[in-house]
Amino acid sequence: MIREQDLWWAVARSEEVTSKAPLSVDIGDQPVVLWRDAQGIARALEDRCPHRRAPLSLGCIRDNGMIQCGYHGWSYDGETGRLKEIPNMKDQQKFPPVYKAKAFGVVEQDGLVRVCLNAKAAPPPPAETGYADSGTVQVSLSHKEYLDALYDDPNLVIAIRGVYFTPYLMSELHEEGGMLVMERNCQWEPLHWPSHFVAEFPLTLLTRTHPLTGETELTLRDDQFNDLLHAVLAPVPAARGVTAVRWRAERGVRPRGLHGKLLRGKNPLSVRSSIDGAKLRETKPTVSLHGEDLRKAMLDAPQSDTDQTIAA
Amino acid sequence: MLEAADRPVSHDDTPAATGGSSPAALNAVNRWVPHNIVMRDTWFPVAHDYSVTGTPVRRAVYSHPIFLWREDGVPVASEFHPNEKIVREKSEYTDARGRYPVMEHYGVLWVWFGNPEAADPVHLPSLPFLPPKGGLPRHMTSTVRFECAAPISLENLIDLTHADFLHADVVGDERSDSETVETFYDSETVTMVRTCVNKSVAPVMKFFSGIRQPTQNVRQVIRIYLRSHCAIAYGRFTPGDDVPLFHPCTPETRDRTRMEMVMNTTHAGRMFRHVMPKAGYKVSRQDSYMTSPQSPRYMRHTDRKDLHSKFDQAGQRYRMAMMELADRQEKGDFAYRDNVSADCSDIIGLRKELFQF
Repeated sequence: MIREQDLWWAVARSEEVTSKAPLSVDIGDQPVVLWRDAQGIARALEDRCPHRRAPLSLGCIRDNGMIQCGYHGWSYDGETGRLKEIPNMKDQQKFPPVYKAKAFGVVEQDGLVRVCLNAKAAPPPPAETGYADSGTVQVSLSHKEYLDALYDDPNLVIAIRGVYFTPYLMSELHEEGGMLVMERNCQWEPLHWPSHFVAEFPLTLLTRTHPLTGETELTLRDDQFNDLLHAVLAPVPAARGVTAVRWRAERGVRPRGLHGKLLRGKNPLSVRSSIDGAKLRETKPTVSLHGEDLRKAMLDAPQSDTDQTIAA
Repeated sequence: MLEAADRPVSHDDTPAATGGSSPAALNAVNRWVPHNIVMRDTWFPVAHDYSVTGTPVRRAVYSHPIFLWREDGVPVASEFHPNEKIVREKSEYTDARGRYPVMEHYGVLWVWFGNPEAADPVHLPSLPFLPPKGGLPRHMTSTVRFECAAPISLENLIDLTHADFLHADVVGDERSDSETVETFYDSETVTMVRTCVNKSVAPVMKFFSGIRQPTQNVRQVIRIYLRSHCAIAYGRFTPGDDVPLFHPCTPETRDRTRMEMVMNTTHAGRMFRHVMPKAGYKVSRQDSYMTSPQSPRYMRHTDRKDLHSKFDQAGQRYRMAMMELADRQEKGDFAYRDNVSADCSDIIGLRKELFQF
């Protein structure tokens, strides 16, 4: 079974991580600071200067690619976390090994920057696709509740322009290659028959979710099995029960007519930053209940094929 | 090049009260929990004298309510509002009428927090650059609040290097030909003296005092009275002005701090005299930018030790002295082993001729 500390979390989109200013993110209660060093490589340290515990994200990135604490100017190397410089101590710039900030593992793939709290963890398998559209939202919902909402009614957390997610499943949640997979019937909007009277649905939404990180690949298909939209949704638990969601999307085959126009416009996928509490409360847990049991069975299994990231 | 020294204030009859230089003590210092330090049997400065009139104003020390008003011009400090329907127990810190010992000195109202019977003006910190009866113009005073524990704010003050880094736009950058730091301490105070030769001129002096030279010699003193959380920040700039600052950090709660600041700029140039006391508004926000997120990280014990450099010597000494005093108080020993009201002019290097009252 994968240990929690060996998980790779998609904590930022590539374009959010720069050499201009540090980026503060969380993995649960663990604050993390991200930036790019002089070679353009994404780096991740604990967002806490070991000198006086000030957030390193309030500091700056030096020309040499090191991050500098904004409080007293201590500078750290991104790869190792080792302290490299204290202002006014030009006479002593070699410090004992204990003088370091906690460094985390970082890989960048698929337009996302992934961080693992265990710097020595095996890197995730490479992914291949590139996604044009992207976004970041912070949702006041816990990681588990966020995923439960996605399972039980995607309308609560995402929207695809011109598409209505029905309550009817084409395939219930099941395990497939170490992922939680399900397929939901969808309809075109705005005009459609009430979904409970429909014989054939024109669309389905296939979701493949990592059982631990909750990172989810979404595929919208039409009834001829054309992929209309691909997206990856990466919810990461953040401080105070907030879930930070990074997403990327790429449009596929263009349907004809009005529906095609709606899907081809800019950013057909949107990820909601706030959840309708009244609707959420009334949404009965169905898929999520099943998912909880399934996830538990998967994680308890002595030998799991579970991947650390979504297979490409 | 920095030269640093750390030594107890020499007393003829008493050894240094702080003796903790053992590795164990240093370990504790690097893992201190300032949020848990509560000092008592001390005078806390709670209000500028002009703030207290016939109408009660509210203050707090460690969340204990303090209502201040005047009766026939005489200040009163009570834990109950005069209009309050009293439904709570009186605390141990007030007399039978629920009143704290209170005194008015240096233009500030001081409330004794601790055993009321132990209140004694002899425990009032020495602030020789302030007129004992007050009377400085209001523009030399202000109130500033910090969202952090008071010891965090004071550690920030006595910290050497952050000012050059965080406040460079106000006090100048880190460049100087030489720098000497000495730390003196006894059981009730820690004093840091920093001497810089040919330091870059502070921008605020360049603009408002008209200093044309590229460098100036600087003697900065930070003196902290541990119990009352009061500090003196005294800068002597040559060429430039003498800028003594009363910098109290009153713990209204364990992680919110109030500063009734007084900066005596009487002898500075006209522009500087008016502008410099206002610099606190800017500098305090710069400090808060760091101390606000820093403070919650010191609310609980952690096994992870803070790292430090030779520049942190005064701060380390402050932590150690606070912990030792807190430890004594924890054991029920509230006695003063050193006199905090003895004139500290010589220790801070005050140019007495400028501050005759």
